[in-house]
Amino acid sequence: MKPRSPPVLLLAGGLAGVLFLVLWPLAWRSDFILYIATLVLQFSIGACSLQLIIRTGHISLSHAAFAGIGGYASVLLVKSAGWPWHFALIGAILAPAAFAALIGPVLLRLSGKYFVLVTFLFGELMRFVATDWQGLTGGSNGIFEIPKPYPAMRDPLNYYWLSLGFSVVCVGLCVRIMRSEIGRAMDAMRESEKLTECAGVPAFRIKVLIFVIACGLAGVQGSLNAHMNNVITPGNFGPLESLNLVVMNVIGGMTNMGGALLGTVFLVALPELLRGYVEWQRVIYGVILIVVMAFLPGGLVELWGRLRGLVTGEAVRGTAVVTDET
Amino acid sequence: MMARTGGSPLLVIEGLSKTFGTLRAVQNLNLSVADGEILGIIGPNGAGKTTTVNLMAGAFKPTSGRVLFDGHDVTGFPPHRLAAQGLVRTFQSTTVYGTQTVRENCRRGAFLHLFPGFFPALVPTARARALRAEVETEIDRLLDWLGLAEFAESEARNLPYGVQKTLGMAIALAARPRLVMLDEPVAGMSAEETDHVRDTIKRIRGAGISAIVIDHNMRFISGLCDRVLVLHHGEELAIGTPGEVMAQPAVIEAYLGKGHAKAGRP
Repeated sequence: MKPRSPPVLLLAGGLAGVLFLVLWPLAWRSDFILYIATLVLQFSIGACSLQLIIRTGHISLSHAAFAGIGGYASVLLVKSAGWPWHFALIGAILAPAAFAALIGPVLLRLSGKYFVLVTFLFGELMRFVATDWQGLTGGSNGIFEIPKPYPAMRDPLNYYWLSLGFSVVCVGLCVRIMRSEIGRAMDAMRESEKLTECAGVPAFRIKVLIFVIACGLAGVQGSLNAHMNNVITPGNFGPLESLNLVVMNVIGGMTNMGGALLGTVFLVALPELLRGYVEWQRVIYGVILIVVMAFLPGGLVELWGRLRGLVTGEAVRGTAVVTDET
Repeated sequence: MMARTGGSPLLVIEGLSKTFGTLRAVQNLNLSVADGEILGIIGPNGAGKTTTVNLMAGAFKPTSGRVLFDGHDVTGFPPHRLAAQGLVRTFQSTTVYGTQTVRENCRRGAFLHLFPGFFPALVPTARARALRAEVETEIDRLLDWLGLAEFAESEARNLPYGVQKTLGMAIALAARPRLVMLDEPVAGMSAEETDHVRDTIKRIRGAGISAIVIDHNMRFISGLCDRVLVLHHGEELAIGTPGEVMAQPAVIEAYLGKGHAKAGRP
């Protein structure tokens, strides 16, 4: 086990990072980069909250669907019910959380690949519902002309700061959970559930609770994303998007919040930056993915460990992902 | 061998039965374990030893019968609730968290004493810090006591088999149980390692913790336990001090004749 970095160092590093993220657009402003950065911040919420679920030993392929439930809830509450956005956001958290509380106790009894399969189906199901329930969701064309949360948010810089604020709060909560005794219990139950239960850990209750919290957080991403794009369509929240969130975690090494953030930057920014080479985009994207997964099974975080190993001369073992399937 | 029958019963089992389809794995078992007692359960393979443990430890629900722990009915309680009551088990196959250090293994075992509740756990309070400091001291003591101190920072998967087995016990003890159930704690161990485990379990009892020990090594069981329950085809064949049990013709015939001859060989 890696020694946990002391809280003071983590806090100082985090604060410095946030300060930099707040200030850089003032020094150098590019709306394209700002747009990508905003996207990355929004997806960081989805990727990190998904990691909470992954760390209980379940790989969910419906996380984007929960973000979608949050997105639609937020948009409908603002557009149809006329709620101010900050109240709609509460709905955007509660709606997917309620869904998760409903299906979680059933789904989380499945292990390994069965959980993956059923969550994949749930994601597809949600996409069908969003496509076919035209009266509510506008069908496959989605809902247009979504207002910004507040008029001031028409400025991309303000929207960036808004997303940054929510990303810091949500990712901070995920990090806090993982560094608490709950996080220790989650890592333990992923390795051996029966052994963990014998230590008095109510494993199943923790799994359900974490699933509900993570899906609620995904709703924040859905809301922020929908109101930024002015449009929400079922395609934004299908299994492919869920898979993307999983890959962000895989690239980052699966069991490290910093890794999930790195994976998010990588997976969100890369396709955007490769827009100029549309025909090559997927090829480059694929090659990079294969290289990372073949040579850095512990994710991009491992690169840091290896570099440090080169300096200090100690070997670093790959940290393969352990789920209860293996 | 001193029989400790004076203490009040900590664990009581009444008419416990378990059937799997048509197989009667355990039939009408009655048993009580006194506070501070070490009880051995022996029997040939398939006699129902592990099923009995699983019934008591909450892995299975019994078909009929009751389990009482410290006067409370805990029949069918899931393992985490039993652990909270003070009833903890170890597993037959080596079960430790392989990727973690010995110390972290013990921390994971000490969940009950580290966890301040879900929402309090998210705020780094003085109480959480105090709990942590207390558990670290307790783990230091436990590692010293079990002779694991020198391995404290080693990854569990790199340790020799015997040490991993001891770590399995350390994880269980980190939960500070009142009764531990040890499922074949010396399976696959050498004679010296077996003696070491026997002494360790005696010291555990010395610390006021009762134990139920399942094994088929008669030499180990008779050198350790106050009383022995002999299971055969899921039923009680005999119960008493090791001397009493071994003197019974039925036991010798059904099991010990063969088992005794085997026990001498490693």
